[in-house]
Amino acid sequence: MSLLAPIISDNGTGFSKIGFAGNSDPSFVFPTAIATRGGPSTASSRAGPPIPSKPGSLASKRGVEDLDFFIGDEAIANQKTPGYGVHYPIRHGMIDNWDHMERYWEQTIFKYLRAEPEDHYFLLTEPPLNPPENREQTAEIFFESFNIKGLYIAVQAVLALAASWSSNKVTDRSLTGTVVDSGDGVTHVIPCAEGYVIGSAIKHIPIAGRDISQFVLNLMRERGEMAVVPPEDHLKVASKVKENYSYVCQDIVKEFRKYDADPYNMFQRYTGEHTVTGRTYEVDVGYERFLAPEIFFNPEIYSSDFLTPLPEIVDGVIQQSPIDVRRGLYKNIVLSGGSTMFTHFGQRLKRDLKQIVDRRIEASEMSSGSHMRSTGVEVDVISHKRQRYAVWFGGSLLASLPEFYSYCHTKAQYEEVGPSICRRYQIFGSVN
Amino acid sequence: MILLEPHNTIIRTTVLEKIVKPSALDVQFVDFDGVRFHLSTPDSKTTLLLSMHIRCWNELVQYGALDVLKREYGSLLAATAEPDYNVSLEIDLNQAPPEGEQRDDFVRKLSLLKTNAVAAPFERAFKTQKQLEANPPPEGSQSELMAIHYRDEEAIYIQAASDRVTVFFSTVFREETDRIFGKVFLQEFVDARRLSALQNAPQVLYTNREPPLELRGVPGLTLSDDIGYVTFVLFPRHFTKPDVAEATITHIQLFRDYLHYHIKCSKAYMHSRMRARVSEFQKVLNRAKTEVATTERKTISGRTMQSR
Amino acid sequence: MSNVLKNYLAAVRATLTAALTLQDFSSQVVERHNFPEVEVRGSKEVLLNALTISRNENERVFIEPSINSIRLSIKIKQADEIERILCHKFTRFMMGRAESFVVLRRKPIPGYDISFLITNTHSETMLKHKVVDFIIQFMEDVDKEISEMKLSLNARARTVAESYLSMFGS
Repeated sequence: MSLLAPIISDNGTGFSKIGFAGNSDPSFVFPTAIATRGGPSTASSRAGPPIPSKPGSLASKRGVEDLDFFIGDEAIANQKTPGYGVHYPIRHGMIDNWDHMERYWEQTIFKYLRAEPEDHYFLLTEPPLNPPENREQTAEIFFESFNIKGLYIAVQAVLALAASWSSNKVTDRSLTGTVVDSGDGVTHVIPCAEGYVIGSAIKHIPIAGRDISQFVLNLMRERGEMAVVPPEDHLKVASKVKENYSYVCQDIVKEFRKYDADPYNMFQRYTGEHTVTGRTYEVDVGYERFLAPEIFFNPEIYSSDFLTPLPEIVDGVIQQSPIDVRRGLYKNIVLSGGSTMFTHFGQRLKRDLKQIVDRRIEASEMSSGSHMRSTGVEVDVISHKRQRYAVWFGGSLLASLPEFYSYCHTKAQYEEVGPSICRRYQIFGSVN
Repeated sequence: MILLEPHNTIIRTTVLEKIVKPSALDVQFVDFDGVRFHLSTPDSKTTLLLSMHIRCWNELVQYGALDVLKREYGSLLAATAEPDYNVSLEIDLNQAPPEGEQRDDFVRKLSLLKTNAVAAPFERAFKTQKQLEANPPPEGSQSELMAIHYRDEEAIYIQAASDRVTVFFSTVFREETDRIFGKVFLQEFVDARRLSALQNAPQVLYTNREPPLELRGVPGLTLSDDIGYVTFVLFPRHFTKPDVAEATITHIQLFRDYLHYHIKCSKAYMHSRMRARVSEFQKVLNRAKTEVATTERKTISGRTMQSR
Repeated sequence: MSNVLKNYLAAVRATLTAALTLQDFSSQVVERHNFPEVEVRGSKEVLLNALTISRNENERVFIEPSINSIRLSIKIKQADEIERILCHKFTRFMMGRAESFVVLRRKPIPGYDISFLITNTHSETMLKHKVVDFIIQFMEDVDKEISEMKLSLNARARTVAESYLSMFGS
């Protein structure tokens, strides 16, 4: 029955991407949210038992209260239903509430994927630096509750690297490179060598999709564009504007001049509809088109406490990695996640980074007394079509390889060794 | 969610989306019991090709699945199925019904492809029962026993008699826990019918290891402790009216998945309970730990001492 | 709590408290080693007499004291197949998290369901009577938890079966 495609489930802080291996897009993308009976998530939600601890109370008699919940879009839709509270079981990429997560998976499999887990292999993802205990718990859930055939837990960054193989710029399928992963909540820069994450060099940037939307909103409010938009739609309009009109420019000053010289051509209009009254409204979209993604390159225009531009961070990360892999890391910088989708984002990153690198080489040539000439360092940033769901796509790609099954831990192995089997994972393409 | 939904969510959402906005597509996905689907646009963006592979197709055809599908889908049924698949539907998105109830019905019908295919032997059994009832067979003779090997190790057997249709499920539990949980659940299925509110439900019987009398002598039955047999006895009131019959068929098909879904849910629930209990024990044990004095120690000149 | 159980637990409590007289003791066999003697069993003279407190044939506690460590193993009541599997699941789940239960052994000794190993380090960093409390509370709750789980499983199965069959009623 190995004909049945493995299931790829990439559960992120904001959204879960779920589907079958071999497809180019996930079958489902919905919020990682679960709406359960009882109040919304409180600080103590972790400790509180999901069941009435007193025996014999009426609630435990019926015995199936734990099936009364919604996940994904339905959870958000039920946010206002009395009696339900929405929880987000994943925080900062890591699973925070296992009870909710287990039920979340349960419904994902049975309601959305309609798959009998006993017949499938699963590929799950984990953030870099995930504690091994979390893996064990995940394995415990999947093997003991769901009886799955086999499991592979992959690091998101490595999958993003694998996804870049689909780009025609990539000639050798290596798992060495730097991943710039920018989602909704946080941006990571992660160096990988031969499929291993160099944990000590990882950097997080507190600027991601949500911040860009907020920044767009601020800019538009300042110009007074938002006056016609109903307040509850502000953030939605801002994120639409960000997604549809933004691009990365090569030079801010020139771009400003261009807009001032020819505003009619450069300004765009966004038309929205009032959700309640159905009245349409129009807003002008101007400088925020190029200023929005600019906060990656000049963070001082948005935040006052985080001031290092993205290219400098990437350079710093690579410089902290072992010297023998640095060339490989510069040569293969891979973008992943929705917030790297801006047009020309890759080119700008490449140009800025190249400048930093060249300057450093020049300085070292100077200090060596110009006796030695460097051959230069190749810098390349790879953007590809599958960038938005790169991690999921990388998983789909790897899981459709015939050798995928030999890298999985099977149910039999799990029963032999126990959850600790998941502490070790085989890297794709490694010999043993 | 206590009951499983009969329709396939991916077909539903994808087709609805593509009717509104046709675009190139090529996805493969599955349904319960090893059914594989392939939804693609091979020729043009507005023609969807939905193909299904089902393990027991040959048996289903033998029991008239093609007729049922023809009745349900009419001209949508493609003359030849896509290679590697058993049956294909061609959907012209331009001719999809207008938005509203009609379209919902249309899409719903598409998403019930698997259900309709598996319905064939049930419908046939219901028909046979009608015939047998009209002209009773000689004493002791038995009508055909239809076997559908819908999974590798499990099968459904259907047999019509003059006053009833009997459906047998053979169930295999691959794991010890599942086997025991399954037993508890199946026992409740048998007992639940004693409730007065459920008198109309079909009678359920459950045997472990030994196949029921009707199945004795069927080739390919293995004797093992892991195997159980569940028997549903359907009476004419469950299938005389066409709409009730349809509901019965849809429902009974999902029996195995329903059972396994709930076994897994119970295990998940046990996990939640154990997590809560373990963290409680943790608290009790932590009470035993003595507080380590963490007062800051300073030198005479006011510098802090640090231990490394 | 039934009176019988009370006596049983009281006996365990008294024995355990008496047995928890531990001191630091380096290995006499290997230089610079300091291991729980009850596990190593290297020198006979530091091992004390083990004893069993038994409530009935299915429930008993086995206490093995030694100079620097004691091992306590519990056999939990398992009336039928369901209780057996639930008990197995629960102890396994707990032993999988032995890291955070410092006194829990990762594997029970043969013939028992769960074992604890208390060493002199534990008795120095933790309050002795509280550790005993923990063990007693565990014994008390584990029985309750298993029978509750069994009840809830049955209740669940009932609801599940009823809601499935009620669909045919119409």
